[in-house]
Amino acid sequence: MLYALEARHAPVVSLWVWYHVGGRNEVPGTTGMSHFLEHMLFKGTPKHPKGDLDRLLARYGAQWNAFTSEDVTCYFETVPKARYQTALELESDRMRNALISIEETEAERTVIVSEREGYENDPSFLLGEELQAIAFSRHTYGQGVIGSKDEIKLMTRDGLYAHYRRFYAPNNAYVVVTGDDEPERLIEHATEAFGPLEPSRDLGEPPKAPEPEQHGERRITVHRAGGTLPIVMLAFRAPRATDPRAAALSALAVALAGTSTGSDGASGRSSRLHRALVETGLAADVDATFQLMKDPFLFLTDATLRPGIKHADVERVLLEELAKLSTDLVAEDEFARVRRQLLASTAFNTDTITWRAYRCGQLLSTGAATSIGDWYAKLAAVTREEIRDAAAALFVERSRNVGWFVPEGDAS
Amino acid sequence: MNRVYRSALANGLRLAVVPIADLRSTSVLLAVEAGQWFEPAGRPGIARLVAQTMLRGTARRDAATWASELDALGAVARLDVGAHAAVFSAQCLGDDLGELLGLVAEAVRTPALADAEIEFVRGQTLARLEKDERDTRAVSDRAWRQLVYPEGHPFHAPAIGDAAVVRSATSAEIRAYHKSAIAPDGAVLVVAGATTPEAVKDAAGRAFGDWPKRAKPRDASYPPTTLATTKRRAELVPDKTQSDVIIGWPGLPRTDPRFTAARVTNMVYAADTFASRAGHVIRDQLGLAYYVFSAIGASRGQSPWIVRMGVNPQNVRRAIDVALDELRKITVGQIADDDLAVAKDKLVGELDVALESPAGVAAMVLEAEMFDLGEDHFERYPRELRAVTKEQVVETARTFLPPDRYALAVAGPALPEALV
Repeated sequence: MLYALEARHAPVVSLWVWYHVGGRNEVPGTTGMSHFLEHMLFKGTPKHPKGDLDRLLARYGAQWNAFTSEDVTCYFETVPKARYQTALELESDRMRNALISIEETEAERTVIVSEREGYENDPSFLLGEELQAIAFSRHTYGQGVIGSKDEIKLMTRDGLYAHYRRFYAPNNAYVVVTGDDEPERLIEHATEAFGPLEPSRDLGEPPKAPEPEQHGERRITVHRAGGTLPIVMLAFRAPRATDPRAAALSALAVALAGTSTGSDGASGRSSRLHRALVETGLAADVDATFQLMKDPFLFLTDATLRPGIKHADVERVLLEELAKLSTDLVAEDEFARVRRQLLASTAFNTDTITWRAYRCGQLLSTGAATSIGDWYAKLAAVTREEIRDAAAALFVERSRNVGWFVPEGDAS
Repeated sequence: MNRVYRSALANGLRLAVVPIADLRSTSVLLAVEAGQWFEPAGRPGIARLVAQTMLRGTARRDAATWASELDALGAVARLDVGAHAAVFSAQCLGDDLGELLGLVAEAVRTPALADAEIEFVRGQTLARLEKDERDTRAVSDRAWRQLVYPEGHPFHAPAIGDAAVVRSATSAEIRAYHKSAIAPDGAVLVVAGATTPEAVKDAAGRAFGDWPKRAKPRDASYPPTTLATTKRRAELVPDKTQSDVIIGWPGLPRTDPRFTAARVTNMVYAADTFASRAGHVIRDQLGLAYYVFSAIGASRGQSPWIVRMGVNPQNVRRAIDVALDELRKITVGQIADDDLAVAKDKLVGELDVALESPAGVAAMVLEAEMFDLGEDHFERYPRELRAVTKEQVVETARTFLPPDRYALAVAGPALPEALV
């Protein structure tokens, strides 16, 4: 699937390749395999040994990277438009021809362990990982993305290579390109690059492990030493990106926490959670997130507590705020602010060529919309009633998952 | 680079506008010379306290009303205190620029600085400081600064400051700092994106035209900072998995003519995890770290020039040794021609790629304006980068990054051996 968008304001092209493979495609024992594989795609092909094309991209000042999520693995390069062909050459070559040698697998293993250890230093990561795990009893979303340290250490080269050959192919990818050329020409070049590649004959069916309905609250408490600030996280079962309520849930997240820029941000301070928790001195920071996902995932809210504040007090206020949105319509003036933030943020993201391509790929790969314009129209059509009804459907006790991070005295 | 339209208001506020066709939004940066460099000596954190309190209500509107007005525009905004300036950064729809500047002007010029709001900001700041005490990145940064800069130096502490200062700051001190530091002379307003020079001039004139300039010009100067010997400190942060490592030196002012060569040296050495020497060896060859990068701060003083790595405690010693070995090679001229060429090409290429976003354009223009790099900076700068020689890189590394005199801070779990 190829998709191109014109962006004429800078002499730049951004190429994104989205593979339909991520944490959801893994089974216990191989968690983290898609992410590990993402690292291995930077280790060269027979035609372009390690360091060859990436050094060339560095010369062009390219912005390039990759990430893995529960649903997808994604690679991108933003390059001067004259270098579009180099980006295509890199991506089309590594789509089917990555080497993934035993030696490079071993060398990269410790890098990935180091990446995980870096995350483990962050209490939010530790709590989020545990909370996601208890929220899913069947669906592979419960496994997260990076995998357990033990399983990273056990990952085999052959396992990685089989995963690669199965999922990295044109019939399992979206290619999205945005830049300073006519879309037809951008597509034409991409077709030349990816068209001749052999499809995977081993894709099989997408993973099916429907998560059964949840019938009661689940709780987790993570204790770690060190005196950092306590955290409360609430995760409610939320529908997939193709659900008609997806746009309303995006608006609901903005109503709760704005389009936040972190604790030093000036914007988002009129949001419900900021007023109820930060302005009252209960929390140092708050957030609310609804992600566009292929399968039903989670609507997350969290608060980092001020020192000396009790978890239970913050949890109670959080729940009260969610309950209000479930029963009462947001006021007209509040709705106008939420709508404006929601729609303006789409312009902010898409005015950057890289993020225009990202947004388009995200909408297409999850099925949330057929284009950025289509998604904008869905957001613009959200009503106050839809926000209330979406909140009422989501924020119920029986599908609630609660996580507390409790810092303890120094282990030393 | 698109054309930069420059002008100035009578009070000294400089305007730099870069219209970019086909966009709906504008990126706005208002930089006031109220960063760490201008803080009262020995009072780290005052600048940030003032900046954050400026966002909490004005003479006309209380904090909640001001916040609602900002959110009603859909703007995304924040205010950060850096080494040189306090920078209000925002993105808004092009049509909303006038209203946004009006709100910014109120916050900057006539903040209420009410006692209750000062207490709120104090509480938030102390909470963040408490969190930072168990954040390996923050702990290593604080420890490194204490090793390098003497007490009273503006870079001795991070911008968030010192808990004792935050606790003891009085309302009078905060109001006095606002009066003396927040002024239009020396300030720069950069707008890039969906706008025109005329629209910005008009909106800025209305918002800031009658903002009185400072009674008298001011400057800050400090004795040069040097490292006479290597200094090391390991900070235990309990129950963590990874150590954060900083190896660094006091840098050089952005206005120093050697700064361009320093940027190239930085790129050759460690600026990029993949394109620079240190990352290539430490991550790619040895698998010791997920991230390795260096950064050189831009200010009127000697901002930190540091290498950062996240490393398992068992590998800390080796990662440090390798980082210093790679630096030694540079200081003795063991630099592959291609490594130097890649570094220069990358820095030049990044200038083009940054044009993809209004925020990227605005950031480049702000640096040029803030440090008076000249109206022809964007024509000269790529040529100057390309003109840097291997000899200059060697000289820069020897002068500013001596591998036998550095400051090393490590924060995280207990190390298997002492730092020596």
